[in-house]
Amino acid sequence: MEALYATVTGILTACGIYLTLRGRTFPVVVGLTLLSYAVNLFLFSMGGITTGHTTIVDSGQPYADPLPQALVLTAIVIGFAMTAFVVILAMRTRGDLGSDSVDGQRTDEPREERK
Amino acid sequence: MTLLLIVLLPLVGSLVPIASARSGRTTCAWLTAILPAIALGIAAWYTPAVFGGQLPQVSLDWVPALGLDIAFRLDGLSLLFVYLVLGIGLLIILYARYYLSEKDSMSRFYAYLMLFMTAMLGIVTADNLLLMWFFWELTSLSSFLLIGYWSHLSEARKGARMALTVTGAGGLCLLAGILLMGHVVGSYSLTTVLEHRELIQQSSLYQPILLLFLLGAFTKSAQFPFQFWLPHAMAAPTPVSAYLHSATMVKAGVFLLARMYPVLSGTDEWFYIVTLTGLATLLYGAFFALIKQDLKGVLAFSTISHLGLITLLFGFNSKLAAVAGVFHIINHATFKASLFMAAGIVDHECGTRDIRKLNGLWRYMPYTTVLAAVASASMAGVPLLNGFLSKEMFLAQSLEAQMLGGLSWMIPALATLGSVLSVAYSLRFIHDVFFNGEPRDLPKTPHEPPRYMRLPIEILILLCIMVGILPGIMVEPILRAATAAVVPGQAPEIHLALWHGFNLPLMMSAIALSAGVLVYLLRNHIYRFHRQFRAVNARQSFEFSVQRVVRSAQWGLDRFENGSLQRYMFLLLLSAVIVAAFGLMDVPSMAGLKSLQPLDPVVVTGAGILCLAGLGTVMLHRRRLLSLLFLSVVGMFVSLTFARFSAPDLALTQLAVEVVTIILLMLALFFLPQKTPKESSGRRVSRDILLSMIFGGVIASLNYAVLTRPLQSISTYFIENSVPGGGGHNIVNVILVDFRGFDTLGEITVLGIAGIAIYKLLNRLRLFMPSSDMEGRPWSPDRYPVILSSVSQTLLPLALLVSVFIFLRGHNLPGGGFIAGLVAAVVIILVYMSRGVEWTQRRMSFNYQPIAVTGVAIAALTGLGSWVFNKPFLTSSFGHFDIPLIGDIELATAMMFDLGVYLTVVGSTLMILANLGKVTTPHRPSKEKQ
Amino acid sequence: MLTNAIAISALLFMLAIALNFYRLIIGPSIPDRLAALDTMYVNAIGAIILFGMWLNTTLYFEAALLIAMLGFISTVAVCKYLLRGDIIE
Repeated sequence: MEALYATVTGILTACGIYLTLRGRTFPVVVGLTLLSYAVNLFLFSMGGITTGHTTIVDSGQPYADPLPQALVLTAIVIGFAMTAFVVILAMRTRGDLGSDSVDGQRTDEPREERK
Repeated sequence: MTLLLIVLLPLVGSLVPIASARSGRTTCAWLTAILPAIALGIAAWYTPAVFGGQLPQVSLDWVPALGLDIAFRLDGLSLLFVYLVLGIGLLIILYARYYLSEKDSMSRFYAYLMLFMTAMLGIVTADNLLLMWFFWELTSLSSFLLIGYWSHLSEARKGARMALTVTGAGGLCLLAGILLMGHVVGSYSLTTVLEHRELIQQSSLYQPILLLFLLGAFTKSAQFPFQFWLPHAMAAPTPVSAYLHSATMVKAGVFLLARMYPVLSGTDEWFYIVTLTGLATLLYGAFFALIKQDLKGVLAFSTISHLGLITLLFGFNSKLAAVAGVFHIINHATFKASLFMAAGIVDHECGTRDIRKLNGLWRYMPYTTVLAAVASASMAGVPLLNGFLSKEMFLAQSLEAQMLGGLSWMIPALATLGSVLSVAYSLRFIHDVFFNGEPRDLPKTPHEPPRYMRLPIEILILLCIMVGILPGIMVEPILRAATAAVVPGQAPEIHLALWHGFNLPLMMSAIALSAGVLVYLLRNHIYRFHRQFRAVNARQSFEFSVQRVVRSAQWGLDRFENGSLQRYMFLLLLSAVIVAAFGLMDVPSMAGLKSLQPLDPVVVTGAGILCLAGLGTVMLHRRRLLSLLFLSVVGMFVSLTFARFSAPDLALTQLAVEVVTIILLMLALFFLPQKTPKESSGRRVSRDILLSMIFGGVIASLNYAVLTRPLQSISTYFIENSVPGGGGHNIVNVILVDFRGFDTLGEITVLGIAGIAIYKLLNRLRLFMPSSDMEGRPWSPDRYPVILSSVSQTLLPLALLVSVFIFLRGHNLPGGGFIAGLVAAVVIILVYMSRGVEWTQRRMSFNYQPIAVTGVAIAALTGLGSWVFNKPFLTSSFGHFDIPLIGDIELATAMMFDLGVYLTVVGSTLMILANLGKVTTPHRPSKEKQ
Repeated sequence: MLTNAIAISALLFMLAIALNFYRLIIGPSIPDRLAALDTMYVNAIGAIILFGMWLNTTLYFEAALLIAMLGFISTVAVCKYLLRGDIIE
C-alpha cells in the first residue's frame, strides 16, 4: 500500500511539474493545481496512512494523526486562494498584453471580440 | 541619568523648529537654541567632576541579547567634543538665522541640524560600540539631508549622494570592525573594550579589525584616497559646511582614531597606515587648497589637509603627538568654523565665491576683513594665535618620528612643506579676496553683514587669540582631561607655552612662514604648472563608476534574469531536486523497517484511475476544457483517497475546493484561448519530461522512505487535550480553531487579502470574449434554462441547511467553518449560474468584501476577547448550556472563531467568483440583441 | 455474509468507475465525457457509502452527501460552459 501511495504522489508531482514548465498561463495554472494535490497528499501521509482510524475523540476507534490533517486542510483552502490569484493574473496578462504567454511577450494572435 | 539629557535634549530639539515654524524666523531660532543651551549647561555642570578624574556613566538595557545597551559615558575626550558640538552648534544656529534667505525653510534646516547634533553627541558620548555605530550612521544620514538641503540644485543632490555613499560604505566597514572586535573581546561595551588592549592586539583578527576601523575613520574624515567627497559636499549651505565640515562630522573620523587609540595604536601597522595616509592627505589637501578658485573649495581642501595633519599626529605612536592631535582638533574647529562663516558672509554679500572676481573687499567690509585675517593667520600658524601652538607641537613631534629608519628625515621635511603650503593658501585667502585690486563684476554690491551674523565669528576669533596667548589657562585643563582618555596609563606632561626658546621647531615655523609668503608670490608659476594636467572632476568620475557598477550588476543579473518565467521555473525546480536528491543520498536504504500494509483491488483501481487522470490532464493539456474534466477526476479521487485513509474532514474540504476550482478555471477559460498552441521544441519537451520524472521520482522515494519508517507523532497532546482543553471532539477542528488558532487567523487573513487583490485586479480589465465555442458553433440563445433555474432554487435552502449543519457539528464531528463556508459559497454560485447576476443581485444586494473583512474581524476579536479575561491571545473557553426545545448544547468561544472563518471563506470565495462572473455582465453582446 | 456482499459490490462499483473513466477518455464528444464524469460522481457516492458500511461508521456519509450536491453543481457548470461559454452572466 505504501509503495502504491508513494507512486501516486510521485506521478501527480511529475504531471504538475511538467505542466508548470509550459509556456502558456492556463497549463501552468492547471499544473499548479495538480502539484498542490500532490503536495497535499504528500503532507497528509506524514501522519501515516491508516485505514479505519479516526480523529474523533471517544468514537471507539484508534486515532489517526490529526495534526497533518489540520495543516493540509488549511493548505487546501489557501491553495485555492493562490490558484485563483494566479488565474486572475493570467487573465489580466491576456487583457493587458494580448497574449497568454507566461513570459509576457506580446504576440500577434488574432484578437477575438474585444471589448 | 542627567547624562542622557545631553543627547536627548537635542533630539527633542529637532521637533522644536518644526513646531515653531509659524512663529517667525527669529523666534524659531531662539526657541531652537534653548534645548542645546541647556544641554551645554549640563555638560558644564559635569565638567568639574570630569576634570577631577571621575567618569560619569549611565546604562540602560536595550537589546541585551545582542550586547546592545543604551550606555553613555562622559570622559575628557567626550566632554571636549560635547563642548565643540554644542558650542559651535549654538553659534551656527545664530549664524544660519541671518544666512538663510526668506525662501529657504528655516524650520526644516534647524530640524536637520538638531538631528545631526544629536547624532554627533551620540557618537562622542556612547559607551557601547554598537550604539556609537548607530549614531555614526545617523550622522551620515542627517548630513545627507543637510548637504542636499537645497534639493533643487543638481549639484547639492549629487554631492549629498556622494557623501552618503562614501561615508555610508565606511560605516559598514566600521560595523564589521566593531563586530569583530566584539567577537574578540566578548563585549561591545566601550569601557570593557578599552581595558583589553593586549587581547585585541594579540588576536589574529587584529589586522582586519584595524583595517576596518581605519576605513571607517578615513572615509568620515576625508582622508586620502577617500577625500573626494568633501569638496563636493560644499554644495551645502555655508552654515552646514562651517558646522559639519570643519568642527564636527569630519572630526568624527579623527575622534574614532582618538577613541580607539588606547587599544589599536602602538603597532607597526598602525604607524605605517595612519602616518602615510595622514601625510599624503596633508600634502594633497594643501596643494589643491592653493589652486582652487572657489572660496569654499579652498577651505574644503585646507580642511582635508588639516585632517591629514591630525591623522598624522595620531599615527606617530607617541603620547605627546596624540596630545598635539587633540589640541589641533580644538584649534582647527575654532579657526576653520570662523573662516567658513567669513566665506559665507562674502558669498552672502557679494553673490559669488569665485576668487578671480573677489578682490579688494576690505574697502566694503573692513570689519569682516580683520576677522578673516586673524582666522587665516591662525590657520597659517602665526605666533600669538592658537594655530601656532599646535603647529609647533606638530613640527616637534615630526622630528621625533624615527620609524622610517634612514628616511626618517623625510617626515619633518614633508611636514614643513605642508606648513609652507598652509601659509601660502592662508595668505591667498586673505590677500586675493580682501585686497589685491578691485572686485570685478560682482552680482551685488558688498557691504558689512548684519551685526549678529558677525557675532559667532567674533566669539571664535576671541577664543583663537585667548588660547594663543594664554594657553595654560584656557585649554590646559580640558586638554589634560581629554588626554587622560586618549593616552592610557601615565599621562605625558603637557606644557603649553608660547615660548619654548630657540629650537628646531621654531626654526621650522619660521621657514614655513617665510617660504609660504614666497610660494604665494610665485603662485602663478604653480598655476601654470598645474594647468598642464587634465583636470579630473571627482564627481564625474564618481558618477561614472557608480553607473559602471550598476551596469555590471545589471549585466550579471541579466545572465540569470532574462524575463522568462519558464527559465526561472526550470532553474528553481532543478536546484530543488538537486538539494532533495542529495538529502536522499544520505539515507542508507530507501525502505524502512515498518511492515507494509496489504493492497486491496479497490485501492489499486482507484490509484490507477488517479494516475491515469493525472497523466490525461497532462497529455490533453492543449485541449483545455478536456484537461479540466480530467483535473476534476483527479480532484475527486484525491478526496476519495483522503476518505479512504481516515481523513473525512479533508475529504469534505477537498470536494468543495475541487468544485470551486473547476468553476473558477472555467470562468477564466472563457477569456483565454481554448487551445494551447504547440510551440515547445522537441528538445525542450524532452528536457521538461526528464526533469519532471526525476522530480516525481525523488518525491516518490522520499514519500516511501517516510511511510516505511516508524512514526513519532507529536499529536498525543492534541488528542489528550482536545476535549478537556478545547471542548470539542473533532481533534482536527479543535486544532484549527483552538490549539493553532493563530495560524488559522493568519490563513483566513491571507484568504481575505487574496480576495481583495483579485477584486482590484479585475478592475478595468480589458477582455477578449469568444463569440462562439471552440468548434465554431454559436452560443445557445437560452441564457437561463428553466429546469436549471427551478432545480437550483429548490436546492438553495437545502444546501444552506447542509452548510449550517456542517458548521454547527464541526466542533465534534467532521465539518467546520472552512467546509461549511465553501459549501455555502458554491451554492450561491449555483444561483448565479442559473439565474444570472442581475437576478441574484436584486435579491442579495450586498457586497462580499465586508463579509470577508467582518469574518477576519470576528476571528481576531474572539482572540482579543481573551485579553479581557486576562488570558493570552486566543485562549478559548466553553460551557454547556441548557436551551429550551433544543436541549443541552455546548458552546465554545472557538465557535465564534469558527464563525469568523466561515464568513471569511464565504466572503472571499464569492468575492473571487461572483466578481469574476460580473466582469462580463455589462458587456454582454447577446443582451444588446435581446 | 454482509462482508462478502460489501466486497462484491465494492468491486462492481470500482468496475463501473473504471468503465466511466474509459468513456471519459475515449469520448468522442464533450457531452459524452461529461455524462461519464457525472456518472462517475454517482458511483463514487456508492463507493463511499459502502466504505462506511464496511467500517461500520457514519463519519463518511457527509462526504457522500457533498459529492451528490457538489457533483451536480460541477456538472451544471460544465454544461453551462458548453452552452453559453460564460457560466455566470
